[in-house]
Amino acid sequence: MLIGLNFTLGGTLELVQRLAKEGEIDYCELLIDNFLQVPPSELRDAFACPIGLHIMFSKFLESDAAYLESMAERLREYIDVLKPLYISDHLARFTHKGRTLYHLAELDYPNEYHHVRQRVDWWQEKLGQRLYLENYPSIMDGGHDAPEFFERLVQDTGAGVLFDASNAVCAQLNCGLGLDRWLNVIDSTTHFHVAGYSLSILEPKVVLDTHDVELSPETLAFLTRYKDHFDKPNATMTYERDENIEYDDIVSDLRKLRAIFGHPKGGTQ
Amino acid sequence: MNSSRVIDNDLLDALMVPAKQGDYPRDSHAFVRIDCSLRVYWHSLFDICPDVLALTTPDGLAIYRPFMAWANERQLSLDWTYYLWVYQWLLQSEFRERVTPKIARALTAASAARWAVGDRSASGGIAVGCADFPELVVAWKSHHIDEGREIELVELDEPLPTPPGKFGYFTIPQFELNTFPGWSEILR
Ligand SMILES: [Fe+2]
Repeated sequence: MLIGLNFTLGGTLELVQRLAKEGEIDYCELLIDNFLQVPPSELRDAFACPIGLHIMFSKFLESDAAYLESMAERLREYIDVLKPLYISDHLARFTHKGRTLYHLAELDYPNEYHHVRQRVDWWQEKLGQRLYLENYPSIMDGGHDAPEFFERLVQDTGAGVLFDASNAVCAQLNCGLGLDRWLNVIDSTTHFHVAGYSLSILEPKVVLDTHDVELSPETLAFLTRYKDHFDKPNATMTYERDENIEYDDIVSDLRKLRAIFGHPKGGTQ
Repeated sequence: MNSSRVIDNDLLDALMVPAKQGDYPRDSHAFVRIDCSLRVYWHSLFDICPDVLALTTPDGLAIYRPFMAWANERQLSLDWTYYLWVYQWLLQSEFRERVTPKIARALTAASAARWAVGDRSASGGIAVGCADFPELVVAWKSHHIDEGREIELVELDEPLPTPPGKFGYFTIPQFELNTFPGWSEILR
């Protein structure tokens, strides 16, 4: 298992470079659409480790074709130069009736399947790449439909799942979706996310995917229990941290992941 | 299917409309989930523009709630233009006498910054003009790996024509402000 860290903003560059140099991470995941005005070669030269690409705001289920085609054309330049380990995007709702959702919403999986399937086919074709699509940290009951939806989507489109293990723990705590329901998905993919989560301010508490604190015991137990399902050749696990970015705290979590998965065999590329 | 089953889709109309939160039982996950969504709009306004919060009590509700209701009536997209509409709402509210030029510039800068962080077109920057102050607010997307977006207040030697509405904008293809292609209207 390669262990990585997400890189979303200029301010944490030194931290990511240091973690790579010290061998705490094996790769770095760029939130690539934050950097579409940075020359691809500048991104390539900044990291002495392999790179994964995470797309945040393509909104490819909702955006119009001309917008996406322009974005895909630019993304392809980055793909050519950076030769990423994988490319991922999100399956979530970004707008409702043309109005922007600041807190993304979950898809209505059964009713939107055909639309999503078409869009995934189309977006993969435009990018010229297999895409890994991330699962949503469900709060409401619709989360129960997610594992089956992803299994079907993988089968029909050839896309992969960027399986976020702590998002699955959020869904378990919020709507009681058993972690074992994801086993087929975990077996089917090589790319993973993991992060800390926090509780809502109001009662009854719900669990929110906030990337602001250390990994929970539940998440670590999940990874440990299904270690052999997660770990496979070329597998990656990105530790996501977007708030309270402290070197020691991040290293502490990265080492917990190392303790579960060990160091990658044969080193990195 | 269980009739008490509630999915995210059922809540979409309430996720940006504070008045609709009360349609759900206070002790339900739906109520809390809507609250989580509403809080992001609150923080996006007051964390970024504390001078707006200073106009009212610390909970900000005397601004936040009527603004969100007004935005809902007009079906505002709440995209990068969010703060420009907050300014226009303030100008027709009980707070209008207390809206300073500093607040006008801060809200304009917040919208320009939101464009620079969220826009995914090929443009490098945006210039926003306001009928209430002479400078241009210009925001540039991050174009080096170790730098974030940048915001500038630009005083022009020769002022541009005043935008036809309260605000106007134009995007800048590269990273140099050297032409004026005319004002685009701020869409809802
Ligand atoms: Fe994630």
